[in-house]
Amino acid sequence: MSQVEKKAGLLRRTSSSKKPLKEKVVLMYDEIFAKEDPAKNNPRFWDELFLMKVNLEYLETKLECLDGDELMKTKDNVNSLFHHCVQTLAEEHQIKVVNALQTLCALFRGVHQKNKSASGFDIINMLMGFDKAEHRMKDLMESLDSLLCGEGSESLKALCLKLLLCLVTVTDNISQNTILEYVMINSIFEAVLQILSDVSSRGRHGYDAVVLLALLVNYRKYESVNPYIVKLSILDDEPTLDVSADLSYRFLQYKDKEEENQGGFFSTLTSMVGSMFIADAEEKLSVQTNEAILLALYEAVHLNRNFITVLAQSHPEIDIPTTPTTPVPTTPTTPLGTTPPSTDVMNSSELPLDPNLQTSNLLITFLKYSSIVMQDTKDEHRLNSARLCLIILTCIAEDQYADAFLHDDNMNFRVNLHRMPMRHRKKAAEKNVPSRPLVCAVLDLMVEFVVTHMMKDFPMDLYMRCVQVIHKLICYQKKCRIRLHYTWRELWSALINLLKFLLSNETVLLAKHNIFHLALLVVNLFNMFITYGDTFLPTSNSYDELYYEIVRMHQVFDNLYCMVLRVSTNAGQWKEPASKVTHSLVNVRAIINHFNPKIESYAAVNHISQLSEDQVLEVVRSNYDTLTLKLQDGLDQYERYSEQPKEAAFFKDLVRSISLNVRKNVSLNTLSQDILLKEFSTIS
Amino acid sequence: MEVALSPAQIEALHLSPSLSPASTFSCPSSPGSSSSSCSDCSLDCPNHQHDSSSSPRSSSSPRSSSSPRSSSPSGCSSGSDGTRGCSPPLDLCEDAAVDLDLVIDPEVALKACHEVLQKVKLLKVEEEPEILEKCSCDTVLVKEKGVLSDPPQPMKLTCQQPCNKGSIKEEEEDEMCPHPRQPNNDQSSAAAKQSLLLRLFESKLFDVSMAISYLYKSKEPGVQAYIGNRLFSFSDDEVDFHLPQLLNMYVHMDEDMGDAIRPYVVHRCRRSIAFSLQTAWLLGAYSSDMHISTQRHSRGTKLRKLILSDELKPHVVPADAYLSPSKRTHQRSKSDATHCTSLGTSLKRTASNPKVECGYDEPLRLTPQREFIKSLMGIGKRLATLPTKEQKTQRLISELSLLNHKLPDRVWLPTAAFDHHVVRVPHTQAVVLNSKDKAPYIIYVEVLECESFEASGVPARIPETRIRSARSADNLLPESVAITAEQRAGSFSTVPNYDNDDEAWAVDDIGELQVELPEGHTSSSDNISQFSVDSITSTESKEPVFIAAGDIRRRLSENLAHTPTTFRRDPEDPSAVALKEPWEEKVRRIREGSPYGHLPNWRLLSVIVKCGDDLRQELLAFQVLSQLQSIWEQERVPLWIKPYKILVMSSDSGMIEPVLNAVSLHQVRKQSQLSLLDYFLQEHGSYTTEAFLTAQRNFVQSCAGYSLICYLLQVKDRHNGNILLDSEGHIIHIDFGFILSSSPRNLGFETSAFKLTSEFVDVMGGLDGDMFNYYKMLMLQGLIAARKHMEKVVQIVEIMQQGSHLPCFHGSSTIRSLKERFHMSLTEEHLQVLVEQMVDGSMRSITTKLYDGFQYFTNGIM
Repeated sequence: MSQVEKKAGLLRRTSSSKKPLKEKVVLMYDEIFAKEDPAKNNPRFWDELFLMKVNLEYLETKLECLDGDELMKTKDNVNSLFHHCVQTLAEEHQIKVVNALQTLCALFRGVHQKNKSASGFDIINMLMGFDKAEHRMKDLMESLDSLLCGEGSESLKALCLKLLLCLVTVTDNISQNTILEYVMINSIFEAVLQILSDVSSRGRHGYDAVVLLALLVNYRKYESVNPYIVKLSILDDEPTLDVSADLSYRFLQYKDKEEENQGGFFSTLTSMVGSMFIADAEEKLSVQTNEAILLALYEAVHLNRNFITVLAQSHPEIDIPTTPTTPVPTTPTTPLGTTPPSTDVMNSSELPLDPNLQTSNLLITFLKYSSIVMQDTKDEHRLNSARLCLIILTCIAEDQYADAFLHDDNMNFRVNLHRMPMRHRKKAAEKNVPSRPLVCAVLDLMVEFVVTHMMKDFPMDLYMRCVQVIHKLICYQKKCRIRLHYTWRELWSALINLLKFLLSNETVLLAKHNIFHLALLVVNLFNMFITYGDTFLPTSNSYDELYYEIVRMHQVFDNLYCMVLRVSTNAGQWKEPASKVTHSLVNVRAIINHFNPKIESYAAVNHISQLSEDQVLEVVRSNYDTLTLKLQDGLDQYERYSEQPKEAAFFKDLVRSISLNVRKNVSLNTLSQDILLKEFSTIS
Repeated sequence: MEVALSPAQIEALHLSPSLSPASTFSCPSSPGSSSSSCSDCSLDCPNHQHDSSSSPRSSSSPRSSSSPRSSSPSGCSSGSDGTRGCSPPLDLCEDAAVDLDLVIDPEVALKACHEVLQKVKLLKVEEEPEILEKCSCDTVLVKEKGVLSDPPQPMKLTCQQPCNKGSIKEEEEDEMCPHPRQPNNDQSSAAAKQSLLLRLFESKLFDVSMAISYLYKSKEPGVQAYIGNRLFSFSDDEVDFHLPQLLNMYVHMDEDMGDAIRPYVVHRCRRSIAFSLQTAWLLGAYSSDMHISTQRHSRGTKLRKLILSDELKPHVVPADAYLSPSKRTHQRSKSDATHCTSLGTSLKRTASNPKVECGYDEPLRLTPQREFIKSLMGIGKRLATLPTKEQKTQRLISELSLLNHKLPDRVWLPTAAFDHHVVRVPHTQAVVLNSKDKAPYIIYVEVLECESFEASGVPARIPETRIRSARSADNLLPESVAITAEQRAGSFSTVPNYDNDDEAWAVDDIGELQVELPEGHTSSSDNISQFSVDSITSTESKEPVFIAAGDIRRRLSENLAHTPTTFRRDPEDPSAVALKEPWEEKVRRIREGSPYGHLPNWRLLSVIVKCGDDLRQELLAFQVLSQLQSIWEQERVPLWIKPYKILVMSSDSGMIEPVLNAVSLHQVRKQSQLSLLDYFLQEHGSYTTEAFLTAQRNFVQSCAGYSLICYLLQVKDRHNGNILLDSEGHIIHIDFGFILSSSPRNLGFETSAFKLTSEFVDVMGGLDGDMFNYYKMLMLQGLIAARKHMEKVVQIVEIMQQGSHLPCFHGSSTIRSLKERFHMSLTEEHLQVLVEQMVDGSMRSITTKLYDGFQYFTNGIM
């Protein structure tokens, strides 16, 4: 009913009727935006105000209408409003607290909306006044902290997080949000962690809390001391567990949705086109919201080494939602990311015992998620997600502890990666993925990526990262002498095909990318196998097979050599990188030049036109001793991942896009807080 | 009431410990042992015989009054004193203790002691001149002195405070006086009997086993109470072995028994957390057979609750209770009853008003360990619901990794032989064991050995990620601290770089790995890696290095050839690989991967967690096996058996100490696809090698040992999954789920005495081989030795039958049949024939083969 009234009020106001019938609260807002002190005539003005249901739209519109100068005139009253909001937060009356929180949301947003160009200091001045700002913000943060940590209603906590998210995302560029300086000084890190550490509250607020953390960490991360970075990086075991538990839950949720959508997509071939469209829209939204989660995972993995240890830990209590998440009714206005998931699963402290579901861990979930994300990189958001996934994998592959458990022979898992349906290959029997060390799944994922992304719009950057991940893993295996039982052949042929692709699309690709860099990486991977194969290959046959594969595909290497030789002899921007590839090819060429004649003569002697694999292997085996290889420098060296300066721009854009997205969802969501109000009205 | 005791009862009291006419068997000392024990025997055994042969019925009443029980009235009063004495604050109590030393004149005490001694001596001289003839008076004296200095021990222990010699003497006097004095006043012959029993009790030969036996068989509250008190004088380890018996008696026998045992148990509980928990677990397990309504109010349950309520902390109250009567210097009798009631009342008080006791620093004495065990059991329960081994193992690993994270500070593994703190569970090493519907699993646990579990400080936690860097001991600062320091330092600079990947990741640089690698055995084949190290540093020198492809290939095959023979990884049998790996190697490997591995007191333990299985029978089997093992050791029969420790935690859960370096015959067969003999040849070398011969001898000795065990205990369900083979060639039988009166589903299989397949005989070198004869001879020797000490073995089983519903006690003839299997009546020649028959029968037995076939078809066990 109230909604109707509110809408009526708004309608009338806009439809220029002379005597608009206004809500009391609206009148009170008007009083605030008058020049006089509203409390002068009515000493209980503020008390009454917060008892009134907030009309966010009106308040925000009002603030937006006022431009800088006008606002400066009412500055005292706005300051006063802010002040009283903060004061009210400490009150026991929960409706008042709710109203104060919402009013604050409106204040932050309204003031920023209009004054996008204004400096942060002006905004602070407008809201709180320079002199009192520090004090006010301290009070605000303390109140929020105690509300978040307290025993209070869950909805109230949700609203607190919303307010914080709102505050964090008011500017497009988070680093320009000067108010956050106060959030840095008065840290709410612990409060957010506490939210995450409790299973039930994690279920309700996990998403908001994780996104909030991810955003806060990105506040001026390159130029100032961000206490959130510090705190996140020193988090010890327990809390990191909680963060990861939440992250893994989020991924899983996403995955489920994705699977649903996939099914939906295929099924819609026979059903209405309309539903496909909705499904598509939903998917896009969820991808965007998931960027935030991915960013959080990245920050956790990147900043906190303890977090690596929890990657491998399973969180069965949230990994396996016993009830499939019911698909949200898809009206375009419902933001997906911010709907709290059903909490009944969360509340059961005992592990659900469903024998049909496999035990999983965050890393497995992440790998599966990555396999979905990497399938489609056409969309910019998806491209970003895929890039972020690869960056996270890079961090993981560099970490020794992570490598240790990736390669742990005792920890075998079945990881069902999603494979892109492709015309030229038959759908593998995915049900029978053997249980293997996790690193096999990582390698599979990389191979899968290499195979599936040879397209015109070549994702050069992703390919580089992908090959680097493989390189880092192999370096680890070489150093620790881990003989992984992996079908290396698949990797070799994928890499050779990649080289082939680079060659055949040379002209197109060279216009945009330095393909020599990638080619060098790929050739050096082969060099790793050739020179250090004895330290990490699982069987002696696999070394023979490597030679077999190289000899079999010698055409590709020959062509590559010709190409790089040609480019390096011509003066031009690619001269230098191309000559590097030329040098790196020395051993591969030695192998080809050594064995090819031997095989040919074998065929000639035995009068066989087409040698079988076994025959070639036989030739290879008997001719090793006459082959001399050149040892190349630094094959097992790699550049460590560093966010700055290379990735800084990417992350800046990513954070900006996440901010925009979160802001949009928060604004949509805070408007519909009727449920919350209803809850409190029945309590009091 | 004292007079009401029937003469028969009293006779029983005397007769019972040596029921059989060949009572020499109850004499603990072996004739074959040293000469000194011979003299002991001559001192004691005749008494015994004398006692049993000529116990007159007339002496009933005086004897009963001579028992320690006679002092119970005074005991009661002292008990009430005790309660009063509890009220003063602690420091006051301590003062009292100091006072005590002053009050009791050591001289007086000493004199009293001598008096007693004299009387005893006189009595002996009067009654048993023949003994004195045999052994000199001096020996007796020495003996008596020895005994006299023994009993005070319990008092000292209960006191919990330093008592000096004086007070000890006083206690001694209190303890000893009633017994010798009584005979003085009464009929001399009766007194003699009494003193004989007393002498037995006081003699050196009176060990825990005998104490338990008398405690069980005596219907005399006084004797029970005396023995209850005597328990204090035995070493903890000795009593611990018989703890199941003690507690079963406590739970299932009458009030007097309970009163006799309780003080000791309570005392030990106060001193040790480990004992408390073990007692609580056992009490729970043994109470579970009672009817649910009686169970709730039973003594066992009450005591269990009391222990678990964590009120039995070490404190001065019992000492205080003790002191109050002692203040009155001439309180002569300090019977166990006193002790008991005083303790009991003080306990009750604490139970009703826990605040009195709450001033202690350690509020969580038992909680961490209980939580630890609870989570282990919880894991087992959850695993049982998963269908495949693979899923179980994965789940186990992830569950353990969580447990690892939440590992409480002060926990230990109860099966270990030394004090330690658990620091880490290397979760990836855990495996699920083979079982059809339950999910037992084996975990490895890293512990740090320490002086005393309770006193030593808890080791600091080291984060997982510090695996390698933590190796250098000087770098033990937790990483987090390092980073904060660094960050703090950074906060002073104007533009700190928070993307400090270098610093953040440098802690365990990949480069370090190269140093950490076991260069020792790789250096020869590691030229390449060394080259590569060189190449990093010498980038300027463009001198190309050439290598031969053949070398790389050769190294690869060489490296692969060097890896030891292991079992294949089999998802259906994940434990095979884990168990096959030599223990030493596993320890080394886990140590390398552990952040605690660099600590000198680091140890690796393992334990099997069983959930949903009743281990009480296993515990019984363990006790019998240990008893037989010590008997054979004592009798110098080289039989080899391996009792493995059992920890009963409730009637359906517990832990088992795994047998190291052992895999089941089933696994051997399945993995190697060889006959047992061929497997021996593969593992140990050809027939003539020393390694093979040693392994063969080990096999024979263990086979003989377990054949006897299987026969005596009627161990059934002997399929190859239940027989392990260790790396030295021993076989080890596990799973004593079907013993004595129970057999699996009563299918009528396994009628043979024990399992002896032709494969076994083949390993022994065939039917005509020397080793096979050696096998039979060992069995005969073992049976003769076991027969000699039958009582010790039977007693263990008999006491446990009390109130038990375990399937192994099904029917009424369990104990009788057990005794019959010792064939007391047969001559050694007859025994030899018997052994021959049994071996023959077992070998020929079709049922063994039939049972293996049955197991193969039903459970897939080869």
